[in-house]
Amino acid sequence: MTVGGWIWMIVSLVFVWGLTFWCYRRVLTSPQEERVPPGYGP
Amino acid sequence: MSDHKEEWGSRLGVILAVAGSAVGLGNFLRFPGQAAANGGGAFLIPYFCALFLLGIPIGWAEWAMGRYGGKKGLHSAPMIIGAVGKGRVARYLGVIGVMIPLGVSYYYVFIETWTFGYFLKYLTGGIGVDATATVAQQTAQSSEFYNAFTGAAQDGVLFTGDSKFTIISWIVVFAINLFFVFRGLSKGIEKFVSWAMPAMAICALFVLIRVLTLGTPDPGQPDQNVINGLGYMWNPNYSKLGDFSTWMAAAGQIFFSLSVGFGVVINYSSYLKRKDDIALSGLTAASTNELFEVGFGGMITLTAAFVFLGLSGTTAAVATGSFSLGFATLPVVFARMGALGNFVGAAWFFMLFLAAITSSLSMYQPAVALIKECLGWSHARATATIATLGVFGAILTLWYTQGGQFWSTMDFWVGTYLIFALAGVQIIYFAWSFGIDRGWKEIHQGASIQIPPVFKFIMKYVAPLYLIIVFVGFTFQNLGPSITAAWASTGSRVAIIAILLTLSFLVIVTYFGERRQRALGVDIDDLQPAD
Repeated sequence: MTVGGWIWMIVSLVFVWGLTFWCYRRVLTSPQEERVPPGYGP
Repeated sequence: MSDHKEEWGSRLGVILAVAGSAVGLGNFLRFPGQAAANGGGAFLIPYFCALFLLGIPIGWAEWAMGRYGGKKGLHSAPMIIGAVGKGRVARYLGVIGVMIPLGVSYYYVFIETWTFGYFLKYLTGGIGVDATATVAQQTAQSSEFYNAFTGAAQDGVLFTGDSKFTIISWIVVFAINLFFVFRGLSKGIEKFVSWAMPAMAICALFVLIRVLTLGTPDPGQPDQNVINGLGYMWNPNYSKLGDFSTWMAAAGQIFFSLSVGFGVVINYSSYLKRKDDIALSGLTAASTNELFEVGFGGMITLTAAFVFLGLSGTTAAVATGSFSLGFATLPVVFARMGALGNFVGAAWFFMLFLAAITSSLSMYQPAVALIKECLGWSHARATATIATLGVFGAILTLWYTQGGQFWSTMDFWVGTYLIFALAGVQIIYFAWSFGIDRGWKEIHQGASIQIPPVFKFIMKYVAPLYLIIVFVGFTFQNLGPSITAAWASTGSRVAIIAILLTLSFLVIVTYFGERRQRALGVDIDDLQPAD
């Protein structure tokens, strides 16, 4: 594998893993409207 | 199943459902082949450009249109696009948004059946590839099984041949799909994807670790090692960036992989609440798809093939196409893995099965929603109607198997061409008819993140223009040969007739739906904007 191959692979992997991790962290920590199961609401 | 108002049970549920719809066989089989053939690591430049200029912006537009339609009580693509586009032309163009998932489901469940059948075979001893034979002999054995299982030799052979294994597998897979669709959005699809997606990630991680620890399995072939296998996929060839076809391939891969313009996201997001976030949810679903595609697909498939088959064998396998790579070549790789081969094979095909079923489940929901909305039928009756259509499509797919003519014709016209068309319709109506300022406000209602303002410009100008260029280029490259091929065999002619019949049915349903919604006083032309 060439140096270019290593660079592209590492940059791409860091990007997709990083973006996914960041997104799920935001999803799981940001507040959201409380949901009530159908039939239990007012 | 009662007919209360359907909605998602959780924010994570809808994200996983959309991501599950997007992650499919293409992530593991098509992406690595496209990358290796179009510049390796350098392919990631046009690929990520297409992701940010085309895939994610059009995805956001689709999420926003769906949620907006939901505010008006609309859930089907024709009615939602009709509201966004303010009229009948938009509404009938929106029929494409139901035609695509339903038409693709006709043959996709068949391909899903392959993954399920292979998984069962690997659980019970493999597909009959002799571990001690030469690569050429193993390839012949694997191809023989593949052709027999898929009925590629002759039309009708799956019904008339001695083995009914494919048919039985299809019945099981179709029944599983129907069961979860029948249970509805929250109790069926959402519940299933919330364990299927993590399970798929675990399987992918297991296979990835096994592949990366293969080392140099044959000391007599020191060049066939994991590092060189990764190099086959990732070494950049910058000269390919000068080819228009590389940029086309990257845009096409992003499109088909993310499921934008597929008709599913617009339906799924219509069940969100009016203040639910869509900006972060859309980005999260897209990033999940990228993780499976680049993070797993880009690391596993070609590396494993290279380690056992070498440069020429892997290049030949890539040239035969995605399905042949996955179902005829990789079984040779598993046979050469030694004691763990069958176990890794089972994990691989189970992972592909989960990838396929989380996609196929999403394909029925848009049509079920259309029937319910347009004809006022119950969920059970609508599901039964779509199941009947599914059986109709499946019988054709299972009968006309010779050379894969039926399903490849369906795949080109419905699963490729119409997707470009629907994506174009959606982004143009969203940015130019609904209005980009209003659309921008809609995307940010309840948003957990602020999207950089440059995307407003991208959505209005860059994405439509980019799409038109790709669409024209794709048409120029493929339309002529595909029209000729559409009449070349019985299977392809039947596929064209099936498409026209399904389309006619959906147009008629939409016509009755339009009348019904007007009679109910629903504002289907968006005369009064929803807040």
